[in-house]
Amino acid sequence: MIRLRQVSKSFDNGRTYAVKELSIKIQPGETLVLLGSSGCGKTTTLKMINRLIEPTSGVIEVDGRDITHQDPVQLRRRIGYVFQGIGLFPHMTIEQNVDVVPRLLGWSPKRRKARALQLLHLVGLSPPDFGDRFPDELSGGQQQRVGVARALASDPDYLLMDEPFGALDALSRELLQQEMLSLKEQLKKTIVFVTHDIFEALLLGDRILILHQGNLEQIGTKKEILSAPATPFVRDLFAKPARQLAEFQGML
Amino acid sequence: MDPTSLSVFVSERLPELYVRTGEHLMLTGCSSGAAMLIGIPVGMVIFQKSWLRNPAMATIGILQTIPSLAMLAFLLALLHRIGAIPAIIALTLYALLPIVRNTLTGLEGVSPQIMEAARGIGMTSGQQLRMVRIPLALPVIVAGIRTAAVVVVGIATLSAFIGAGGLGQFINRGLALSNTRLILLGAIPAAILALLIDFVIGAFEWGLRQKKKPEGSGPFRGMIQFIARILPLLLIGGGIFVYLTGPEAHHGLTSNSSGTQRIIIGTKNFTEQLILGELMAQIIEQETTLSVERQFNLGGTMICHGALVSGAIDLYAEYTGTGLTAILKSPGINDSEQVMKHVRAAYGRRFHVRWLAPFGFNNTYAITVRKDDAAQHKWRAISDLAKEAPRLRAGFTAEFAERPDGYPGLGKAYGLKFLEIKDLDPAIMYSAIANKEIDVICAFATDGRIAAHHLTPLTDDRGFFPPYQAAPVVREECLNAHPEVTEALSLLSGALNNETMQRLNFEVDAKKRSPADVAREFLKEIGKRHPLAE
Repeated sequence: MIRLRQVSKSFDNGRTYAVKELSIKIQPGETLVLLGSSGCGKTTTLKMINRLIEPTSGVIEVDGRDITHQDPVQLRRRIGYVFQGIGLFPHMTIEQNVDVVPRLLGWSPKRRKARALQLLHLVGLSPPDFGDRFPDELSGGQQQRVGVARALASDPDYLLMDEPFGALDALSRELLQQEMLSLKEQLKKTIVFVTHDIFEALLLGDRILILHQGNLEQIGTKKEILSAPATPFVRDLFAKPARQLAEFQGML
Repeated sequence: MDPTSLSVFVSERLPELYVRTGEHLMLTGCSSGAAMLIGIPVGMVIFQKSWLRNPAMATIGILQTIPSLAMLAFLLALLHRIGAIPAIIALTLYALLPIVRNTLTGLEGVSPQIMEAARGIGMTSGQQLRMVRIPLALPVIVAGIRTAAVVVVGIATLSAFIGAGGLGQFINRGLALSNTRLILLGAIPAAILALLIDFVIGAFEWGLRQKKKPEGSGPFRGMIQFIARILPLLLIGGGIFVYLTGPEAHHGLTSNSSGTQRIIIGTKNFTEQLILGELMAQIIEQETTLSVERQFNLGGTMICHGALVSGAIDLYAEYTGTGLTAILKSPGINDSEQVMKHVRAAYGRRFHVRWLAPFGFNNTYAITVRKDDAAQHKWRAISDLAKEAPRLRAGFTAEFAERPDGYPGLGKAYGLKFLEIKDLDPAIMYSAIANKEIDVICAFATDGRIAAHHLTPLTDDRGFFPPYQAAPVVREECLNAHPEVTEALSLLSGALNNETMQRLNFEVDAKKRSPADVAREFLKEIGKRHPLAE
């Protein structure tokens, strides 16, 4: 379980806050989507969970233990991370990218190989076709599948995903979202998923947390949020795409 | 130039070319290697300690701006030795800048996103550096090594000035003798070597960048890639082979220690010095059982003197006036007896070096103009120049332009102020005045090129230039160990007057004969006149 208690982050010594007094409890096996426009603090929140960013105040617990008392390197190896803009290592083959964390953990080459093959299958890339290639030979969608495979390599309990499909074209994004949905059902990981895409949030989130200028606006299931928006901001956030969708349907 | 003589010229020198190429590769390889061993870690350290970055880069940058000869002279003074060691140190310092800079740029150039990913998946900072940052910076670092190696091949030609050998030896000798073929014999292989090294490291870089592509990979692709990656090893192996199999065993790496049955003779880098060096070498070989090592064409007075005092050479021919003013920094004296007395006493006391009996000629500086100019303006003496000087362009050797007994003193003594003064290599000075690019030069009184280029030396009517009697200067330690050297060299005492020296210089400068041949012929000549002692 991941738990945030009164977590704040300021990058300018307290003049402004990227995240302000955020308290959340992420249940094992659930997918929590952090939704908001850019600059709302969602990526900052995500990075604080694996100590890429240290909070200014407040406590974050993973598995019931304060993460400031955990070695950040060991912590990060227990948490899969899919980066915005992918972040694959360009000098490593696809297979090497996937098995990098097992390598850090000192798995045997045989076990690593087996795991890499299994994961490439899982994300829909056939190992003989892709294993020996380099990231820049793959399409954006294929690269992001590798990013997901890499994050899953050591079979972590937690998965942090930072706008993983943000840079993809609409078609590949939709395909990956669908696959993500089935992957999620299959793997039963605790996932924290950052996006600014409302439809993505509605599709993938068991619960959705809406952030605005570092403040929590509302947290709940999609049903709860759509039926009872807690603030005018939340109401507007969903009203606008609904209107656009209606206009679009009117044109058809 | 007829092709047969050219092919004879080259084929005669092939064995030496082999040796010099080996030496050149050795100098380049050792210094590039040392620069890598120092430069890459330095680059990494200053990448991590950003406060060190500016001071470190500034220091290395300043090293780069020190003129090569000054650096060599400085290292000679510091290490008390000539040969490969100071040359390799100097070349290493020059190779450092591109390697450090590229290491730093390469490490800095890795995208922050990729580094965040490395951190985010749980790499320690050591793993981030080793597994991600360095591999991604590698092509840039290799490019820096490539630049450094090519630069070093070029600068290595200058290490011949301090007796380190290499292809610069031919260039130096060619410049000293104004022999274009000799210059090219050094310059062309050096250029080829630079291109070769550039190609080899370039291929290595390419080999590193190549990725396995399952589709479209020809059967030879993997092999070509493999060869590209091992090319540098082949080149290094080849260099070591050529260096070790060269017919000359010592390669200037050895330094002299007393007690060996070998005399090391040095010379400065101009024709007369080479002839005198050969004369002394041949007469010692002829009259004694000692073997002679020739460390000819050292960079100039300071390098010869430094080499002598440090024991890197045993003797060379010096001029009394040069010893007096340039080495001892004493004010000029005009009486030749007085000068000799002064330098003998001071050298003995300060350097433990003995001046033997002079050869007989006085190679003083001669302010020299074109014969037709002299006739037209009725110039006979230097003081006649004073009125015209502001319209005249002068070309002086760097040494003359700087030495107190050179232009600075001369200008004061005669009230001369030239329109402009160019620092020229002695070899270029004569052709430049003949081609009317300059009007006045500081020739040497015994230079064969004065006659060859239709020039007229002007008389020193105010007696400014001290006498420049040439004589062997020898380390006392060497004379005590081998008294027969004094005896042998005494046979040359008084054997050369100004006319004779001019003639010998002319044989080499204008007729392109080798100093060794000219010296041999002259020794035969005087042997007939005064049969040499058995």
